[in-house]
Amino acid sequence: MIAFAARRVGQMVLVLLALTLVVFLLQRISPVDPVRAAVGPTASNQVVEAARKRLGYTDPVYVQYVRYVGHAIGGNLDISLRTGQPVASDIRRFGMASLELVLATLVLGIPMALALGTLSAARTRGSGVLRVLLTALSAAPSFLLAALGIILFYRVLHWLPATGQTDYVDVPTGPTGLLTVDGLISGQPAVTLDALKHLVLPALCLAALPAVAVGRVLRGGILANLRADHVRTARANGLLERDIVLRHTLRNSAGSALAMGGLMFGVLFANLAVVETIFAWPGIGQYVAQSIPRGDFPAIAGVTLLLGAVYLLVNTVVDLLQAAADPRLRA
Amino acid sequence: MSVPAPAPITPGAVLRDAPRGSAVGLALREASLGDRIALAAFGVISLLAAIGPSIAPDDPGTPVAPAFQAPSWSHPMGTDDVGRDMFSRVLAGIPSTWLSALAVIALATLIGAVIGTLAATAGGWIEAVLMRITDAFLAFPAPLVAIAVIAALGPSLLHTLIAVSILWWPYYARIVRAEVRALLVRPNVDAARMSGISRRRLILRHVVPGAVPITVVAASLDIGGLITVLAALSFLGLGAPAPSPELGAMTARGASSLLTAWWVPVMPGLAVFALALVGNWAGDAVHDMLDRR
Repeated sequence: MIAFAARRVGQMVLVLLALTLVVFLLQRISPVDPVRAAVGPTASNQVVEAARKRLGYTDPVYVQYVRYVGHAIGGNLDISLRTGQPVASDIRRFGMASLELVLATLVLGIPMALALGTLSAARTRGSGVLRVLLTALSAAPSFLLAALGIILFYRVLHWLPATGQTDYVDVPTGPTGLLTVDGLISGQPAVTLDALKHLVLPALCLAALPAVAVGRVLRGGILANLRADHVRTARANGLLERDIVLRHTLRNSAGSALAMGGLMFGVLFANLAVVETIFAWPGIGQYVAQSIPRGDFPAIAGVTLLLGAVYLLVNTVVDLLQAAADPRLRA
Repeated sequence: MSVPAPAPITPGAVLRDAPRGSAVGLALREASLGDRIALAAFGVISLLAAIGPSIAPDDPGTPVAPAFQAPSWSHPMGTDDVGRDMFSRVLAGIPSTWLSALAVIALATLIGAVIGTLAATAGGWIEAVLMRITDAFLAFPAPLVAIAVIAALGPSLLHTLIAVSILWWPYYARIVRAEVRALLVRPNVDAARMSGISRRRLILRHVVPGAVPITVVAASLDIGGLITVLAALSFLGLGAPAPSPELGAMTARGASSLLTAWWVPVMPGLAVFALALVGNWAGDAVHDMLDRR
């Protein structure tokens, strides 16, 4: 297991290096000149050339790449053209709102995936409807879910707020940066409740697609297991159908569902930009979405590196968990 | 249980090339009604993508009525913020989404098939290098990296197609490599090899056709998801630039009028949903028909 873990972590580092190489090369072909961005648009050509030499952009490409990786590890990610601030400090400013949204997505999405998977596999009444729902939801773009969600829950039913993170003007900003937690710490449960209400719709829109994908994998695994010999034995022993599904098929299907869940973080992070834009959520997704029309490549590159690293880390942890539970996977 | 007698072997039959076309015809004849409807819907959408813009009642680019008209008989999907007919705009937006998805799938399967076949048949260090590259690409969060690639190249439809295709092929390279490796040790391939045909002919005529069904199944199951990814990229402004009617971009533009004129952002979103749904259905149908395992 330790050898497997070491190999898998080594793999992750290599892929992370490949990702930084791709982003570094994209940075070079993008029309943005980082030196010009650093010294400002009004600087004379001599100043720009002097800065180019000083900042090391005249060095060989591989030297620049090594320096780029070094800076990225140290949390130094160039300067955003749009905000004029270092990308790293922009990410720190907007990151916690996104983290809170992603955590809420997991809290809503995981039970959703479990329910969709087990109920659609079980031959109970209504499982046919659930199967149709699974197919339909997997085709729904997140911006359509967001638009319909706002119309239904805000405009028609008045249950939930439409946009933003909070209705309060003066909200606590520390110590954690997570508004729901900070509200409780500062003794303002009303702020926490309001923040939770604002979280529900965007989190649901983000959770739908991954939950459906994981639910389908779970359903497939459960159905395959229901035909297996050990389930026939369990039936012959007189176990309840519910216990058979929950104990003898769900557990055996958890590994592949977990793997699918890890892969779904890629879709989740791309949809983060879409959903945060519609809900005016002050996170790094909206930060990226606003950077795109301005051609602010350093900002896009910084967020890509950060979310890419999180994605690789999540999938490595998933692989390690799977290997810990199933020795056959430690090959 | 009695063992069925082996079929009599006709001399020379083994060495003949597989009959062409019959597999598709056979699968179609055996397809269930639901599968046939799904495939018909796929055909209808493709037709709509080909001729849709020419049957649009109005010019999608010019205002034809007052702004923000609710859906009515003359404008079934209403009008947008400058009074353009939404129905015509949605019809005009279908081709770029649908044909982009098909183009990306075609390009990705082609690259994947070439690399997968090359890796499986060459073996040795060539296979090792190709598959390590494939694995690295496969480990990337594709939709996220696509955003960065298109942003660096500059937003345009062509750049979107290139960016998504170069992130989508590794999946197919893995599938094709695994299938070709399995096919290479089949008895019919051994027989063909012993008959003394060239290696090139052996691979192209006796091995590669065997990998087609599983690749087609994987590709058809991929279309629906790809459509939603492409629409999300278009929503973020990473498709064709502003004046051209793109379904995702139309939703993004109309989002500000969601509460006053819901049809402006919702109608293009529903169109994306319909396209992806038909893609998924047709994919399931192809899966039912071709995947007998």
